[in-house]
Parts: sequence; structure tokens; C-alpha cells
Amino acid sequence: MSTYSFLIRRVLQALAVVLLVTVVVFCLLHALPGGPARGILGPQATASQITAFNHEQGLDRPLPVQYVYYLNQLVHGDFGMSYTLNEPVSQLITERLPKTLLLTVLSAVIGLLFAVPLGVWQAVRRNKPVDYVITTLSFIAYSTPVYFLGLILVLVFSQVLPWFPAQAPQGNSVGDILAQPQGLVLPVVAGAATMVAVFSRYMRSATLENLGEDYVRTARAGGTRPRAILTRHVFRNSLTPVVAMLGYYIPVLFGGALVVEQLFNYPGMGLLFWTAAQSSDYPVLLGCVLVISIATVTGSLLADVLQRVIDPRVKAGRS
Amino acid sequence: MSAVRPPAAPAPDGGHILDLDDLGVVFTTETGTVRAVRGVSLHVAPGETLALVGESGSGKSTVALAAMGLLAGNARATGRAVVDGTDIVGADEEQLSGLRGKTVSMVFQEPATALDPLTRVGRQIAEVIRNHRRVSAADAAARAVELLRRVGIPEPEQRARAYPFQLSGGQRQRVVIAMAIANEPALLIADEPTTALDVTVQAEILDLLRRLAAETGTGVLLVTHNMGVVADFADRVAVMYQGAVVETGSVEDVLLRPSHDYTKRLLSAVPRLSVSEAAGGGDTAEPAGAGSVGAGSVGAGSAEEPAVELTDVSVVFGRGKQAVHALRGVSFAVRPGETLGLVGESGSGKSTASRVALGLVAPTAGSVTLFGADLARTRARARRALRAGVGVVLQDPVASLDPRMTVGECVAEPLRVHRRTLSGRERESLVGDVLDRVRLPREVARRAPRELSGGQRQRVSLARALVLGPRLLVADEPTSALDVSVQEAVLEVIGELQEELGFACLFVSHDLAVVQQFARRVVVMRAGRAEEQGLTSATLLHPETDYTRRLLAAVPVPDPIVQRGRRAERLATLAAGRTEEQG
Repeated sequence: MSTYSFLIRRVLQALAVVLLVTVVVFCLLHALPGGPARGILGPQATASQITAFNHEQGLDRPLPVQYVYYLNQLVHGDFGMSYTLNEPVSQLITERLPKTLLLTVLSAVIGLLFAVPLGVWQAVRRNKPVDYVITTLSFIAYSTPVYFLGLILVLVFSQVLPWFPAQAPQGNSVGDILAQPQGLVLPVVAGAATMVAVFSRYMRSATLENLGEDYVRTARAGGTRPRAILTRHVFRNSLTPVVAMLGYYIPVLFGGALVVEQLFNYPGMGLLFWTAAQSSDYPVLLGCVLVISIATVTGSLLADVLQRVIDPRVKAGRS
Repeated sequence: MSAVRPPAAPAPDGGHILDLDDLGVVFTTETGTVRAVRGVSLHVAPGETLALVGESGSGKSTVALAAMGLLAGNARATGRAVVDGTDIVGADEEQLSGLRGKTVSMVFQEPATALDPLTRVGRQIAEVIRNHRRVSAADAAARAVELLRRVGIPEPEQRARAYPFQLSGGQRQRVVIAMAIANEPALLIADEPTTALDVTVQAEILDLLRRLAAETGTGVLLVTHNMGVVADFADRVAVMYQGAVVETGSVEDVLLRPSHDYTKRLLSAVPRLSVSEAAGGGDTAEPAGAGSVGAGSVGAGSAEEPAVELTDVSVVFGRGKQAVHALRGVSFAVRPGETLGLVGESGSGKSTASRVALGLVAPTAGSVTLFGADLARTRARARRALRAGVGVVLQDPVASLDPRMTVGECVAEPLRVHRRTLSGRERESLVGDVLDRVRLPREVARRAPRELSGGQRQRVSLARALVLGPRLLVADEPTSALDVSVQEAVLEVIGELQEELGFACLFVSHDLAVVQQFARRVVVMRAGRAEEQGLTSATLLHPETDYTRRLLAAVPVPDPIVQRGRRAERLATLAAGRTEEQG
């Protein structure tokens, strides 16, 4: 398949997925009891006030109609108005998304920078003390909830050792956030910890598998030294499955951001999503889910493209 | 060519490029230590080829790896393995890296996995050059192209930029050979270099190795189980059995006048391709042996209804430009009680044809009749009933049995599917009966497949295929993964049971000698077409097409003197063909 037709097909697939996600989320949210009127108007609101509100917002019309109406707005770049914040959802998201991206990308990059070498190191020294220690730490990091890990980080590095602030930097733009880098340390570490744990495991097993491949023996038989075999051959081959995993890991990263932002009061999309969920702010929730699902399909699309770049066999349709 | 080689008499001591002295290898496993190699002493002189032969588990590959210092981590070598003055046993990785690829290099069995899939082949060859010589990347790349040309790869400039998956198996093996000879090593170790290849490709690769070794005076240690390859290539032979060398001698002595009992047994188990005296010459004057094989009794035109019949079957996989024509108008029939051999090179469509016969692949065009019923016109339930009359044995004895089932469960599975009314006790007794038939003790029913040897496992597969009392047995390379002595036993069992039970057998194999022994009629497949078919005794002795002739000529026979003649003849035919093309 040519790269061109591959891209077209994948993009169409991605669009279909995004559309499906909006349908599912729309239906789910409307199926929830309570509804937004109660959340916005407060517990004292009368039934007639709620009916009036529902009518005003179009919430009394049939669901398919509401959905089509919503989609039509989307196409015109209108994500609707937040019920509680009285701001257009699109504005809220454009304001928050870059900050969340900053947090997740930083966590991911730093996580990978540690995970990949750790995994390789473990594979090379498999079943030696180093391997056992890192494996144990990985399992601890992996099985600790991000929330709990964040609390411990705050306790140790903010309370006991006053090295970093317990609250994330505040501000409206990415520039504001970057102006206070020490405030980013704990949120990023909390976000990266699971990443390191998971991806060092992947990298370890991928490297181990490749170290046992026949081509390694061929390279050794040609007099290539162990270090060169590792860097020139094994590393690249081991990276392919890890890259594929990365695409699927994007929703997990956003999920992690939800908790981390809430914990450190980081003014990103996770916090926005959290507060919107508390007050049944449908337009905001739908907007966030849409953005996250677009990020997810874009991520797996990028991973697929990246794989085609790394591994020529993928392009040729064999593996 | 080997006739003009220096005599195989041992060169003066110290003149050897490889000297193994009391070499031993011990593997430490979870269940204890295994002595894989014991007290092996051998030598290879410059320019000579020593073949190390033996069955699987005899330790021959371990000896080869020990000589390269490439043993697995759980192996420990003792004794001495001296390559060009350096003892490999006890050498450190740095010393070994300096020797490997320069003084001694290796060609492996599996060209499909021997190369880094993500690195262009030219780079992989250049890497070996630059491991040992201070040359620029550009010079190394140019030299890699030169090497590709030397190992006979067409358009080497383009091919150097190819990834391994873009090359055929034979081309990949040529790349591995190019890497091995990149620095003109004094010793080349080839571990089953042609086992994974088709016979015609095997012949080309052996020609290539022989030519390269002769040009540079390289000593060769050839590890193989194929006596034909030994006869074709080796000057001297060492026979290994259970980790020790039991016999060493010149290739003529060992293959024609073996002295050790084991060697005799091994050689007698090797299926021999009978060749007409003027093989390959298209000699029609000689009377065909066809009549003498009792062809008249159940001739090709027998009125008996075939167990399976393919009529003008075509199979196309995929669509448009990427469509693969796996079969093009293939017709053949297998009659009750007879064995039809399906031979051809990889990709010729023989496995697809067997799958069509099983009803696993629907033909794109043409028709398949199983026990008189047209498969395209039968409903799913009727088709299932028809399938109960077909037994299957596949190539890989490990992969074709579910490791989580006991042997008894594996064999009983067809009964559970097709004879649901049977009680557990009845099933058990049927399983016991069929295990008797394939000459396995009934007790194996309770054991796991992994506890059995390859030959035993293949007999379990056979038992499973026979448990429903099939009218047709489809055997797809049933003995290719087995040692010759085991192969002999398995084929014997199939033959005897066929005589007793009278099932038809579709026997797919790439081994012409086995088919010649085992099948009454044969279909030669090539590129999806049935190139030629007829009685085995006629077709494989006096083929009508050039293709079959070439195929037969490429099979090395385990007699060094005959093989030398066959090789000369084959090369002469090739050369004649080439000049004809040029003229």
C-alpha cells in the first residue's frame, strides 16, 4: 500500500472513531440521573424553573435531535457554552489544552528518557541484582495509584524536605507555567512514574527477545562487538513494539493528567474535566472527551506512521 | 572440482586452520547437566572441507558453535578448540570479536532470521568489513556491493539497498555468505547452510561455497544431516553420535565403506533417489521402468471413484495488482489405496493444493470432489460429515499438537467432534487401538506431547488422523522435521496402515527421494501449475519436462562418486544453457 492511500484510509478510520465516541458519550451522559439543571440551579430550584431551564437549553427535545444540533455546532467550531463557567467551551479548551499537553508531553518524554535505557540495562543484566531491584521498583510504581504516589511526593519533597512547592504553577498560558519550573517537578514526576514502570518493562522484554534472535548471533559471528550489536541492531528492533504501545498509551496519559491536575491544582484540562463532571456540565464534558478522543486517534495514527518509518516491513504489508 | 583438491591426508601438524582437541561441552539446565559433546578431536586443513554429520541431538551444531565461541550462556566448553593459533575455549569476548568475521566466520541454517530485519543488507555486510579493517564507510559500502556481485546476486547496487524481507530465501543466504567471506577468512563454518532451501537453490549455494573456498583456499567445516550434501561437498567426514565422533575418514570411505555400525544404520536409512544412468540427459532410448511396477493393476484410468479429485482448480489470493495466483488450472485425483506424491519447490502451490483437497481453501475456479460429492454444492453439515473421512498430518510435530492436552486428548479430539455419542470408555478404547496401530505404547495417552520425541509426536499426529478411520490421509511434509532414521520408521508405519486400511494418501513433500520411495504416482508442481504428472517410476526416472529434469539433477545423492558425475553434468547443462542464451 502506498503511504498516501494508507494515510487517507487511516484518517477516515480515525474520523469514524471520533464520531462514534461522540455518540456514545452523548448518550451515556444523558442517561445519567440528575441532569444539569439541578446542578446549575441548585437544590432549591423548583420544578418549573428546571423545566424552563431544560426548555431554554433544548434539553427537552428528543436525544437524536439534540445530538444532531450539537454536531452541527461542532462543525462550525462551536462546542457550546459551559453551564457553570459561562464561557464558550471552545475557549475553555483552547486555554487549558496547551497546559495539559505540556504536562503530559513532559511526563511522557521524561518517562521514556528513563524507561528506555532502564529497560535495555535490565535486559543486558538480566537476572542480576540491578535487574531485580529495578523490576521491584517498577512493580511498586506500577501498582501504586497515581493519587497516592502524588500525596507521598508532596509529603516527602514538599513537607519534610521543602524542595518543591506542593501546588502546581498557576496562570493562563503555557508561558506562565514555564516561568515557575520548580512547581512543575512534582506533577511531572507523578505523571512519569507509571510511564517509567510500564515502558521499562516493555523495553526490557522487547530487548531480551531481540537479544535471543538469530541476527544477533550473525552479527557476533561477523565480529561485531556486543555494545555495537546493542546500539546498531537490537535497540532499533526493540523500539518497534514500544512505539506501537505508545500510541495506545495516550488515553492512559490523559487519565493520569486528570488525577495529577486535580491533586496539584494544575489549571489544565484534567481539572476542567473534573469540575465539569462534578456539576454535570455536559458541553464541557463532551468537549473534553472529544478533544481527548481526537488526541488518542491522532496518537495511534502517529504511532502507525512512525512504525512505518522505523520498520520497512510494515509498509510492505508483512511483518 | 574436489577431485583436483589436495589429497585429504592430514597436513603436517600446525598446518591446520582448526584443531579440536578433546573438546567437551556441558549444558547446565534446570533438570541437571547435559554433556552434549564429549572428547571430540578433529582438524581442518586449509582448503579442505570436513563434513560433520549426525542426527539431531548428536552435538554437531554444538561443536560448530564452540569453534566460534558462540555457545549459549549455560554452556561450558572444556578441552581445546584452536583456530589459527588461538584457543577459543577460554578466550575473552574481545579476543573472539577480533577473530570472528576475520579469521573464522559462519553461515547459519535459517536465512529467514539470520539478518537484522531493519538494516539494509549492504550495511550489514559493510559492518563486518569495518569490524576488522580501517576503511571509510563509502569504501566498505562499495566493497559490499562487490561481495554481493561475487555471491551471484543480480543488480548488486540496488540489492545492497534492500532490506532482508525484500530478498528470497536463497538470496538472503547469499547475503549471509557474503558477510562470512567479507574478510576472506581462513576457516568457514557452515551449519546446515542449505537445509532451509529448495534443492535447486541448495545446488547453487553449494556450488558457490565450493567455488569461494577453492578460490581463497579456505578450510570449511560443514555441519549437515544431509548425506547428499556431504557427498557433493566434503573431502573428509566425521560422524557424530550422542556427543562423540564415532567415525572419521575420507568421504568415499565413510559413505561407501562405513565401518561403524551407527554410520551403517544411518546411511541405510537415507532415502536414495534412484537415477537412470544417464540422468538429466533426457535419454528416451532406455526402456521406462513403469511397466514393471504393476501399473496395470490399478492404472491411472481405474474406474474406481477417486477419494478426492481436483478439476482445473485455480486459487487466487488477494485482488488487483497484489493478487497471488497460488494455483492455475490444477487437476489431479487420488484413488483409494494409492499414494499420490505432490512435489515442487517452495511457493509452487503444493501446500495450497493440499488445502484445497481438504476443503480448507475454496477454489476461485474449478471444482473439488471429495468422496464423489462436489464440495461447492454441499451444505455445511454435509461437508462436515465428508471431512470426518479425511485425516491430516502436518509438518511440525511440535506445533501441531496442543501442548495443554495430553496425548490421549489430542488423539480423541476428532472423536469428540464427529462421534459425539461415544462414551468416555469407548473413546478411550478407540484411542488405545489407534495408538497400537501407530506402534506407540498405550501408556503415552496420559503423557504430554512435550515429553515425547519428534518421531513419537508425529506418530501421535498420525494416530489422530487415523482415529476416525479416514478414507483419505493428507500428509503435508510429514517427515521433513525428522531425522532420517525416524523418517524411515514413520513412513513405514504409514505404508503398512495404508495397506491394511486402504485409505488414499495425498503426500506433499519437497524431498524427491522420499516421494520416489513412497508414492505410486506423482504430480510435479511449479509456480501454481501441475508441470508434469504420472507414475513415480516413470516421471522421476524419465521426466518429460526440463523443469523436472532440473529438479532431479539438483538433488545430491549420497554417493560421492556418482554425485561428482551428476554435478559435472548439471554444471555442463547449465553452461550450455547459458551459452545458448547468449548466442
